This record gives sequence, C-alpha cells and structure tokens, in this order.
Amino acid sequence: MKGNPAGGERMIRRFSRLRIFEHWGIVLCTLILFATGLSQRFWHLDFSQWLILKMGGIDNVRWIHRYAGGFFSLGLILNVVVAVAGVVRGKWAPSMFITKKDFSDAVENMKYYFGLDDQPAKCDRYDYMEKFEYWTILMGGFLMILTGAVLWFPILVTKILPGEIIPAAKALHSNEALLIFLINALWHIINAVFSPEVFPLDTSIFTGYISRERMAREHPIELAKLDEGTPE
Amino acid sequence: MTRHKGLALSFVLVLLAAASPAAHARESDLSAQAGKCLRCHAKEGIRTNFPEDGESVPARVILADFKASAHGMLDCTACHTAYLQGGHPKKRFRSRERFRAATTSACRGCHSNGQIGGNPIHASFLARESEGESPVCTDCHQAHSMTPVSGGKIFTNEKQYCMSCHRYQMDMICRNKERISLKVDLSELETFAHDKLRCSDCHFGFSREEHPKRTFRSRRDYTVASSESCRRCHFDKYTKTLDSVHYAILSQGNLKAPVCNDCHGAHGIAHVSHTVKGRVLTTQKCRKCHAQVYEMYSRSVHGKALMDDQNQDVPICIDCHTTHDIQNPLTLEYHERIPQMCGNCHANPSVVAKYGLSTDVLKTYLADFHGVTLGFYKRQREKLYKPARPIAVCTDCHGTHSITGTGSSSSPTVKANLVKRCQKCHPDANENFPNAWLFHYKPSPSKHPLIFILNTAYRIFLPIMVIGLILQVLLHVWRYAVNR
Repeated sequence: MKGNPAGGERMIRRFSRLRIFEHWGIVLCTLILFATGLSQRFWHLDFSQWLILKMGGIDNVRWIHRYAGGFFSLGLILNVVVAVAGVVRGKWAPSMFITKKDFSDAVENMKYYFGLDDQPAKCDRYDYMEKFEYWTILMGGFLMILTGAVLWFPILVTKILPGEIIPAAKALHSNEALLIFLINALWHIINAVFSPEVFPLDTSIFTGYISRERMAREHPIELAKLDEGTPE
Repeated sequence: MTRHKGLALSFVLVLLAAASPAAHARESDLSAQAGKCLRCHAKEGIRTNFPEDGESVPARVILADFKASAHGMLDCTACHTAYLQGGHPKKRFRSRERFRAATTSACRGCHSNGQIGGNPIHASFLARESEGESPVCTDCHQAHSMTPVSGGKIFTNEKQYCMSCHRYQMDMICRNKERISLKVDLSELETFAHDKLRCSDCHFGFSREEHPKRTFRSRRDYTVASSESCRRCHFDKYTKTLDSVHYAILSQGNLKAPVCNDCHGAHGIAHVSHTVKGRVLTTQKCRKCHAQVYEMYSRSVHGKALMDDQNQDVPICIDCHTTHDIQNPLTLEYHERIPQMCGNCHANPSVVAKYGLSTDVLKTYLADFHGVTLGFYKRQREKLYKPARPIAVCTDCHGTHSITGTGSSSSPTVKANLVKRCQKCHPDANENFPNAWLFHYKPSPSKHPLIFILNTAYRIFLPIMVIGLILQVLLHVWRYAVNR
C-alpha cells in the first residue's frame, strides 16, 4: 500500500481510482434522481413546483429522471459485476459480505455506547454500519431500477403482467426512494460529514487515502492484515 | 255698473271660447248630414251583413270617437260615396273582403300614394301591393276614430303610440325578399322582464316624431343588428360575449352565430330562472343550434335526471360552458379546465353525497399521473411553453354529453370498455392496462389491498428506521463527548 504524497507515511490508500470515480458517479446520479424524483413525489409542494419549472417543466424532469436512472442502473450493474468477478477470480476478499461478526459488532458497539464496554467493536475493512448503508442502497437500488423500468414502460409490462403491477411499482418506487433518501441524507451525510471523528468531511472517498490513526480506530482488523502483508 | 259687469263677462266668454279644445270646436262642426246618419248608426248592435260569405261587420259609429277623430268634420258621404244620392241602398257588398277593399279605395281617393309613401310602413305596404297583396287601411287606422298624424294626444304613453300600429300584422321586407313580422304582442311584452321599458329604450332612433326607414339585407342581418340594443343596458354581459366563441365566429362574418336575441328572445325576455323548468328551457335554447349535442345530453345520466326526475343538481349546458363568455371547447385550455368543472359538483359533498357518489374523484385524479401532469401543463403554459400533448381528463374516460352512470352496463368506464378509452391515447394498451388505474379509489384493505399493504409497511418501517439511525448517531456523538 502506497503512502499519500501529501500526507506522508501516516496515510494509507483505502479506495482505488475506480471506487472514487464510482462514488462521484453515484453522487451525481442520486442528486439528479432525488431532485427530479422527490419533486415529482411531493409535487404539491411549492418548492417542488418551483424546481420542476426551473428544470424546464414536467416532461423535461421526467426525461432527466429516466436518463439519470439509466446511468445509475449502469453503475450499479457494473459495481456488482466487477465485485463478483473480483471475488470469483480471487483478487478481492468478499469484504462487503454480511457476516455473523457484523451482528456481534453491533451489539458490542451498543454496549460501548451505553458504557458497558470500554472499547468499541473492532471492525474489518467495512464496519457493520457501512455494510448496512451499502446493502440498503444496493438492494434498494435494484428495486428502484426494476420498478422504475415498469413505470417507464407500463404498456410493455402490462402485455405480460397484470395491470396492478403499475400502481404497486409506483408505491414501491416512491416509498423506497424516500427510504434511500433518508438513509443517504441522514445516515451517510452525518457519518461522512458531521461525525466528530471526520468533521468537516471524510475525504477518503475523494482522495482515496485515510490516516493511520483512523484506520487503527475504525478498521483495526484491516490495518493488522495490511501490516501483516495480507492482500486486501 | 251692471253694464260694465256684462261687458266683462262677455269678454271672458269670448276668451274661453277661443281657448277651448279642438274637439269642442268640432262638435259644432259635425255636419248636418252626419248627424242625420248617426241617428241610426250611433245605436248599439247595428251591423252590416254580407250575403255571400255570411259575415258581418259592425256599422255602429261612436259619436264621441268620431267627433274627436281627424275626420270628425267630414260628411259621412265623403267616404261612403254610394249614399251621396240621398238613398240608402242595401246589401251593396257581397262579401266582407269586397267591403274591405272598397273602404281602402275610399281612403286612397284622398290620401294619394305620394302622400302616404314617405312613411316607411306605408312604403312597405305599397311594395307589397305591387306584388299583388291588398293592404287594408282600416287594419291599422280605425275607420271612424283615426287620429291626426301629428296629434297623438289620445296616447298616454309611447308604448300605446307604437302599439297603435304594431298591434297589427305587418311585415318588413328585406332586400332578399324575406319578411320580418313587425307585429308586437303587448300581452307577451308586459308579462316578461322588460315590461317597464319604453319601446325606444331598445328601438333607439324611433319616437313619435321619428320613424326612420331602415332596410336590411336579410332577416338575419336584422336580428344581429337589433341585438346591438342590448349592450346599452347590459354592458357587462356584452363585454363578456366579446370573449366568446360565438362572437369570434360572428366576427369572422358568419351570421349564423347566435346573438343576444337568439337565446333571450326579443319582446318575450324572461327573468333568470333557477327552477327546473327554467333550466330545461335554457337547454332548449342551446338545442336550437346544437341539436345533436342536446340529443346526447338528454340521454345521459345528467339529462335524464333533469328531464325525467326534475333534478336540479345535475349540470345543464351553461354550468360547464358558461353563458356569455362561452369558450371554444376544442381548445387545450378548455380541456384542461374540465376536472375543475366536474369537481365543482363531484368534489362537493353537499351535491353528490346524497347519490352515494365518492367526493374523492377529483383528489384521486389530481394525485395520479394524469392529474399531476395536467397541473404542471397548466402552470407551464403560463411560464414555459405550450404543451402540445393533451392529457386525459374526466371526459376522456367518462364521455362528455353522453356521460352515463358508472353502474350502467353500457358505461364506458367499466373495465371491459375502459381499454378502448385508454387506447385513444395509448394505442398499444391491452386489456390488462386499465387495471394500472386505481379507479378513483384510495387504497384500502378492500380496494387495492396490495398497494395499501405496501404503503402501510413503508409508513411503519420508515419512521422506525429513521428513529433507529438518529439514536445510533446520537449515541455515537454522546460517547465521543464522554470519552473526551
């Protein structure tokens, strides 16, 4: 693992350029999707109406939403294909897979928060909260893609499936969007921006580097593996 | 002293005699011959019979009327020339028609065509005469009580003055030979809304002094021109009509477009009535031009309720199309207003609740894809661009004038028929497609349970998730603060 030229020896490479690019892609897509999608869901709000008119009207907004959804789908599929290929070819450890340890880590952390334990849970490359975020967005993302496609092509879909699938897809799409929005807005932004350890911003996903101190605190098991020379 | 008094009295009497009314003077003018005739002809019930047609006319002359008339100083034989010789020939006329023709030629003996032709009414009669008709003077001018043209003192108001001619059947002839009846039914006029008006309030330019001659190209030209009178009082309504589709058609030169009197009538203008009878009559007015639409409407759920059940809740033409500023219903702007029009009743519990109809129809429409899109199109029209694509509104699924109840088997809204409606905009839609629509129902355990379950699950799950995440963040921050 190379050191960051700016941070000296104490910086450790955490994310590859692919992941940084992927993150930017997701940031852009989700921002566009939330702006164009939630304004449609909450169409009755003055702000939504103002925003939609600023974006060129409802037809424009719907097309922007569909194209952004297309790019998001591409990104998500690529993410899964690359991850599966990486794991299958043995190049990557299945570090994002949910294990029993994640549940015990959550319990341990709760104990630590309530003062029943002195140390927080010792986590690997991704702690249980990061995994939760990833999987909710991944699973939610696939649900959004599926239901979004149904809403995009209702005539085609109803040639095979019953008509009720359309309002069901709409209910899932708009509710799940809100869920993902809240997890992203609340959970991810708080963790990556307002969390006392990283404030004012967790820059690791933008620079690709993380400090050794943070690694020791947040991902001690991964740091130990790195020090032992175990491949990621 | 007595002599002076006598002189003064004589002077006063002379003055009084000089100032007495003309009628007073005419009494003394009544000819000796007339007085002789009136010995018999002033008696009530005296009539002249005609042997050929068995008809009769009254032969009585009312002394007072005759004396006050323009001809009060004439001898009877001035008109009844057959009696000049002093005899009294009987049964001179075989029929009433011959008698009437003879009386007219008696009048025309003094009143030449040149003399009477200056009056537009007479000019019209003379024109008709040249076409073979036989106008009779006494149809308008009473035989023995005609008044002087310039006098008119026996008329107490303008209406009476005008009616002295216009109570009789007479026609105005247009340049295209169409005839317009100028007969006015006073009893009709007086039972309607304009009973207090004077004739010249509408027929401006006409008075006792003036009766301008006007000729019109056609009957329709006259109707359109006469509707201009209405704006003198009803200017608000008139300005509204300037924005109407009817006026737009009229201004393009199409005189078939309705003007005020086509709907409101001319002399029989009724008060606005909100009774069932009044509302039915209103639909009849529209029917005059829109007969096909009326037929559809009368068979619709609304029309049947109005006509068969005397229901006042159902809409009539003007409730959707308005009255004076009627818009072109084929425009996008009009189309986009339809949900609000239907919603005026169908979202109002006081109107539709008693029929067991849901008032959620407007809300559920506006919250769905079509309603939301429509809402934005309306706003965009003002700010961005004019959307070229019409969005389905109430009438696109339910029909317009031929609308039927959703319970009816022929209803286009029942699922079997709905797909045809969907295919108007979505030609590839199959029979599954209509079920994509929730039929104005809010999802509930009985209606669309799948959607209800999904929404409820998220409604429960979302707050739990958010609260959990917030707690986790708060605990984390709290622990961090404690550790420091």
